[in-house]
Amino acid sequence: MNEAILVPIEMAVTWRYASGAAMERFCSGLMERRIEALRCGVCRRSYLPPRPICGNCHAPLSEWVSVADEGRLEAWTVLQVPMLDARTGDMREAPYGMGLIQLDGADTTINHYLAESDPARLSIGLRVRAVWRPEPRGAMDDIVHFEVLR
Amino acid sequence: MRRVAIIGTGQTDYASNRSDASQPELVREAAKAAIADAGLRPQQIDAMLISNMELFEGRALPELWLGEAAFAAGKPCLKVATGGTSGTSACIAGFHQVASGLFDVVLVVGLEKHSEGQTQTGMALTDPFWDRAVAAGALGNFALSISQYMAARGVTERQAAMVAVKARRNAARNPHAHLKMPALTVDEVLGSRPLAHPVRLLDMCPQSDGACAIVIAAEEPARRLCPRPAWIKASATRHEQPYIGDIDRRLVTMRTLRDAARNAYARAGIRDPLHDFDVAEIYEPVSYAELAWYEALGFCGDGEAGRLIEDGVTTMDGELPVNPSGGVLSSNPVGASGVIRVAEAALQIHGRGGERQVDGVRTALATGYGVYAWADVVVLGAQP
Amino acid sequence: MIREGAIRIPFKYAAGRAGSRFLVALRDGMRIIASRCETCARVAVPLRTFCPACGGDDLAEVEVGPGGTILAWTETPDAGSYALVRLDGADTAFLHRLVAAPAGCRIGHRVRVRFASSRRASILDIDGFEPVTGEAR
Repeated sequence: MNEAILVPIEMAVTWRYASGAAMERFCSGLMERRIEALRCGVCRRSYLPPRPICGNCHAPLSEWVSVADEGRLEAWTVLQVPMLDARTGDMREAPYGMGLIQLDGADTTINHYLAESDPARLSIGLRVRAVWRPEPRGAMDDIVHFEVLR
Repeated sequence: MRRVAIIGTGQTDYASNRSDASQPELVREAAKAAIADAGLRPQQIDAMLISNMELFEGRALPELWLGEAAFAAGKPCLKVATGGTSGTSACIAGFHQVASGLFDVVLVVGLEKHSEGQTQTGMALTDPFWDRAVAAGALGNFALSISQYMAARGVTERQAAMVAVKARRNAARNPHAHLKMPALTVDEVLGSRPLAHPVRLLDMCPQSDGACAIVIAAEEPARRLCPRPAWIKASATRHEQPYIGDIDRRLVTMRTLRDAARNAYARAGIRDPLHDFDVAEIYEPVSYAELAWYEALGFCGDGEAGRLIEDGVTTMDGELPVNPSGGVLSSNPVGASGVIRVAEAALQIHGRGGERQVDGVRTALATGYGVYAWADVVVLGAQP
Repeated sequence: MIREGAIRIPFKYAAGRAGSRFLVALRDGMRIIASRCETCARVAVPLRTFCPACGGDDLAEVEVGPGGTILAWTETPDAGSYALVRLDGADTAFLHRLVAAPAGCRIGHRVRVRFASSRRASILDIDGFEPVTGEAR
């Protein structure tokens, strides 16, 4: 084998994404610390994130329901290695807790950070509540993380 | 539908860094080997299918940059994309192309070169309004689902570590495998670096460079060219709702894999998977997933997977050897990994598995997995 | 509602067996190497691992250029001028910059490769094509 040449390239990428009407209403609600889900009229599931159509029933969704900013921890982990933050391209320093949280009033779970990062103090079934940033901007990271209610 | 068989396979060696070869050169190596294995010349292939996760390499149109290397210039050439399932889905698309009578001989090639780009970027650029707020990666999402699976089924970290040991010991008999660890122990897995509770370094698949190809043929060329064709008995693919929080996208339920298996088994006449299959090559990106797949694939009842691995049922000399190749846990060039599962299952029917050959394989299973949102099941047989 | 995103992603591509030989020849010898197919005789530049015309891999290594003939060219307002050039001895076209002003540039004009003074095994070890005066084909 001769000398192997490697070609390094750093790419800067930008995007502009349109939210669609359902996600626009959801994000506007976040600015007022309000969480709303869309409920399927056929199977009665309340969806987070809200979306135009129920994937199971193929029914259009139009019934908005209020969801609490607290709920039940359905799954959890503690990341012990840095992971990529896709908002910035930087790595998020470990350790940090993550969970799937079923907010009161929703039938799907949301994936978010946990304030707790000690595995010994986490378990499925814990009650957790959102900690909001002081000035919400209409995005999922208006919730900083969920704290465990003990 | 016409009868269809796999008559050739070709693989590169898998490694963390194949900087000795460009992407097209790896594709060429696998494609050439598969075509030669089938006893054909490149001119005799009717169409090509390609599998690759282009965001991992940051290179648009992989079907353009890789097609020529797969001898596709002047031929029909498509890319098939279903996340991690892409490789198995490309194989299934090839089965359909031949079964329908559209083509007689089709080449499928999968490639990944994780060393050239940012796998985490490729996984993290998801729904910008929802998932991107949380840095989870494949690792974090697996770990979340594993916490539920352990709670629901009582699976232990030690049982998962046994899966990791079985994979790397099997890989030691596969010349192509990336992680060959013939002397790995359960305690070494349990002592390896924590990544995301409860997942440790040796519970996870590696990121590999490599390519794999298969040649699919209709009955007439298959019987003429291959002494022991691997016939497609049935194949099925299933898609699911998009978000990790959508309730059925979990290791516990895994509706995609359960539905695909039920559908394919019914058409292939599989009634008792543990006994009816002689070997299985399943897509297990993390040790715990293999246990969940045992249940979803009907190798045992729900809650019995831990006992299955403890009893050695799925080791090389067990009743149903699972992943003699070492599986995804030992080699994971993602776009190729699904093709590898099908190729390794076919190789077992061909009777050319070398040191990893299981005796007397007549019925083999291959599966694919893609971010919980896709599952593929392929049943191969020594008889059509 | 519009959400903007921005990210920087590093990549590191392997030029591979043929690509590495091609780039090293540029860097070390200011030589442009191509592959001649022993089956169909087609000469492809840059060097290949397999013939793009017939798929064969019985290839000989040959040197082409540095002179060549313009097959097509364009001038852009912001990014300069480019040409597809058939290098002497090659059957395929080679894309690079036109380094000299293209005033009066025509298809069929003769050009020559200008190498960079500082080279690092990159396609930019070639500055581009410059016109050759007093020579025509």
